[in-house]
Parts: sequence; structure tokens; C-alpha cells
Amino acid sequence: MRVGTADNVSLGYTTAGVGSRTVAQLIDNLLAGLLMLIALAGGLAVARAAASAQGAAWAVGAAVAFAFLVYVAYFFVAELVSGGRTPGKSAMGLRVLGVDGGAPDAAAIAVRNLVRLVDVTGIGLFIMFFHPQSRRLGDLAGGTVVVRERATLRLASVAAPPPIIVRTPDAGPAVEGIERLGAAEENALRAFLTRQGLTQDTRARLAAQLAARLCDRMQLPPSAPERMWPPELLVERLYLQLENRPR
Amino acid sequence: MSLEHFIAQRQARWTELEAAVRRARRGRLRGLGADDMQRFGVLLRHASSDLAIARRDHPDTEVTEYLNALCARAHPLLYRGEPLRIGALPRFYATGLPRAFRAAWPYMLAGLALLALGFIAGWLAVDLRPDLRAALVPASLFDQMARGHIQGNVPDAPIAASFIIQNNIRVALICFAGGVLIGVPTALVLLSNGWMLGTVAAAVHIGGYDLQFWSLIVPHGVIELSDIVIAGGTGLMLGDAILRPGSLRRGDALAAAARRAVSLATGAATLLVVAGTLEAFVSPSGLPEAAKLAIGACAGALLYTWLIASGRAPARRHTLAFDGAQSAPA
Repeated sequence: MRVGTADNVSLGYTTAGVGSRTVAQLIDNLLAGLLMLIALAGGLAVARAAASAQGAAWAVGAAVAFAFLVYVAYFFVAELVSGGRTPGKSAMGLRVLGVDGGAPDAAAIAVRNLVRLVDVTGIGLFIMFFHPQSRRLGDLAGGTVVVRERATLRLASVAAPPPIIVRTPDAGPAVEGIERLGAAEENALRAFLTRQGLTQDTRARLAAQLAARLCDRMQLPPSAPERMWPPELLVERLYLQLENRPR
Repeated sequence: MSLEHFIAQRQARWTELEAAVRRARRGRLRGLGADDMQRFGVLLRHASSDLAIARRDHPDTEVTEYLNALCARAHPLLYRGEPLRIGALPRFYATGLPRAFRAAWPYMLAGLALLALGFIAGWLAVDLRPDLRAALVPASLFDQMARGHIQGNVPDAPIAASFIIQNNIRVALICFAGGVLIGVPTALVLLSNGWMLGTVAAAVHIGGYDLQFWSLIVPHGVIELSDIVIAGGTGLMLGDAILRPGSLRRGDALAAAARRAVSLATGAATLLVVAGTLEAFVSPSGLPEAAKLAIGACAGALLYTWLIASGRAPARRHTLAFDGAQSAPA
């Protein structure tokens, strides 16, 4: 799913599938069931200890009322206070979001969880199965979608180690035809040059393969001087030139 | 610009935003002060424009993915609807709910019509087919009527109340939720409630126990049936939005109608607490029938005065002044 921000940059979200959402729902149902059980057991315990039949009746009535409150309001309250992450969703790395990418407000959360009454009959699962964004009826009526959050991607793991440049002190003379190389070639060069622990032989062999392909891609004539350069030197210079070119 | 340079130049801002997002993990920025809040907006805008640059210059790299994930997590923290305030509840009951009720009047009438249709059909079924009467109305009911009233067990009233309330609220919520199936379950609930009341009322009428029966129903029934009609009406609103979306897409029309209807539906559901309490404590009690009927009438009068009169805009004076200004010589 793509969402446009106010400054016109589109954010990509991965919508959650039927499987993870079903597991999240199971976890939440277990928690809600546990809360209801505790309430009922507590109510019965108080009722047994109560002095009068009247008091016992009030205790049981209150316990039943509380259990019902958990039944209707668990998901609503859990999604409201946690910003769309009930304990079950949180465990599965899921989050409820408005279709506009904003956080859903109380009305949207109320709608999607009231329509849950219809969805739990199996209709929800059926609709989710066929919906491209795995939305159930409650999501459709509430204008919400459940997305997967990748909280694990850390900057440290993303920032690649610096490229290893050994053969050339600078970018060297401009290579003719370098404008024919694009982002894909640049990525390939970076991937090669940031690779650690290559033996000298292997590095030279891989560089030769890469250089041959790049020369073809740049459509260098067979007589071009660049074809005479050591492959590692060519690869390093190409990388530096690509990195420094104006955009 | 090289990727390394790009990261090195900007990563301080990204880690700052990351830390802010982690601090706001509970889903809101409430803990942040005014300066931090402003800083958060600045950081998010920087990060999203960095994302745009990264998409162009370094597509298919992990940095782009990282920036996307970072912005995606920060975005809903800033962009969100109005929060729910407990303090706004009295105002909602005083003006918001009655206004929503009046704005949805065609659906309220439609809900009432379905309930009445069920009632009339039930009455006629019992009236026209005496052979079916035994199947439609439980015989025990007549025994109870003959004894004067259903013997309410006073100590059990709190338990009865909570069971009645939870059952009725569940029915009301299903009435609303059923709207997403173009209102079919909603219509069925309304019809069947009317049908049940109709069959029993007709049987009781034939048996000659009208007063006892209605004194059992009216004290709570006025509010309870009104609530079912309101909840049913909201369900019909959703169904209508799907069937006749106007210039919107069906999904959008449904979402818009649900947003308008949900506060009315939940507000009506909470009134069922009042109805259920009356049903458990007053309806089966030993009060004289006239008193019970009077309680029901009072509850109904209060309910509809509130729904119809509350939250209206005061009369607008300035229209008079405008008329005067017009008639004044130029």
C-alpha cells in the first residue's frame, strides 16, 4: 500500500496477511478470555463470601457486567490506548492504520471492532482472503488497514562499510561512455567494492569479469585505452566517477 | 553524492527521529514538549525528503528501505484524528446524540416501520391461524398471566439486569454491524423482535390479560424498543450507503456512513443499561399496574423530549436585523 505524505513523498507499507492477523486475533482472544474468567471467578468468590443473598446477587451481576464489558470493549480500548497495536498485534508486529496513513481515530476503531461481530462468523476471513490488502469488513467500514511494521531495520546494519579502494588515488581521467551506466551498475560496483575478505586472486578475477561486462555496457571500442587498464583499477575509477557525477 | 556521504551527512537527524519515535511508542506524542513536538515535525519532513532523494539516487538499497520504514512509523504519530476525550462525553449526550438522531430520521422511521411490520405480521398470524397459536406462544406464559404477574425474584434482580443488559446491547450492536451486509441481519432482527412481541400480544389479547401483559412490557419496553429501532436505523444507514453510494465509491460511502452512524449506535446501546435496569427491577415488581404504566410513559416522554428537543440551535436574531436593514431607505 502506498500513502502520500503532505510533502508529496509516497511511503510504502506492507499490508499484513491473513495468517499473521489470525494468530494475532487468537492471542488477543486468549487474553480477553482470561480477563473475563478472572472477573467471573472473582465475582463468584465474592458472592460465596457475601453475607446476604442480595449481596451475592450484586457481586455476580457486577462480574457478569464486567465480563461483558471486556467482551465488547477489549479490542476498542486496546487499539485506542496502544495506537492500533493490541497485545496480539504487537506480538506479531502488526498495527492498525487509517487508509490515509494516519493513525485511526476513535470512531474508526469503534466501527472496525463493532463490525468484528459480523466478521467473526467467518465472513471476515473469506473477504480478507480475496481482498488485495487483506482487509475485512470492519476495515472496509472503518477505513482502516492492518500493516506490518519493520522495526528491526537499524541504521547501523544499513550503513554499508566503506568501499575498499586500493589501486587508484583518485577518480582518474573521465571514461568515455560512462553515461550509459545507471543505478543498477552503480549498485553492482558498490556491492563488489564493499565486499570484505576477498583474496587477491579472487578479487582480480571478479574484477576482470565485472570490467569486461561494464566495458561492453559502455560500448567502448576494442581499441579503447580503458580496456588496457588493470580491471581492478578500471572498476575502482568507474565507481568513484559514478559516485561523484552531478545529478 | 556517494551513498556513504549521503548517510554520513544525515544520519544524526535520522537517529534523532528514531529515538523520538521510540519514545512515542505508546502511539502518541503526548509526552513531548512544545519544542520537541516542533522538532519532531522538522525531523520527519527532513527524513521524508531524504527518502525522496534516496529513492532517486540509491534505489534498491537498504538505506531507502530503512528511511521508508522510519517515515512509515513516524507518519501516523503526527497525522491523526481528534483524540477521544472523556470530558467530551456529557456534551455528546446533551447535543451530539440527539442531533445525530434527528439527522438520521428517515432511517429511524424505516427501522420503526420494520419493527411495526413484524409486530402486525405476528399479531395477524396468531389471530388468523388459531391452530398455530400453541406453536407460536409458549403455554407457560398464560399460566403466569393467570397468576397476575410474573413473580419477580427480588434478590436475583441484579443478575437478571446484567444478563438482560448484555443481551440487549449485543442485539443493538449486531443491528449496527449487520449494516455491512447491506442491512439484511439488521432488518431480520427488527422484524423478529416485532414478530415476537406481536404474537405474544395477540395471544394475550385473546386471553384477556392485556393490562397485566402491557404493565410487564411498557416500563422498560419504551426505551428498549426505541433503542433497538435507533440501532437498527444505523444499520440501515450503512446498508443504504452500500446500495446507493451516490457519487462515492461503495467502500468510501460505507466508511463515511459508518463514521456518522457509530456514535449514534453506541450512544443508543448505552441507554439499554437504563432499560435493562427497569426490566429487572420495575417490570416484574409488585407495583400496581397503573404505576408501572406511568413509569413507562414517563421514561418515554423523557427519552423523546431529549431526542427531539435537545441540542437545537437557538433562534437566530440577526435575520430580523437583516430584514430591517433591507427595508431601510437607501
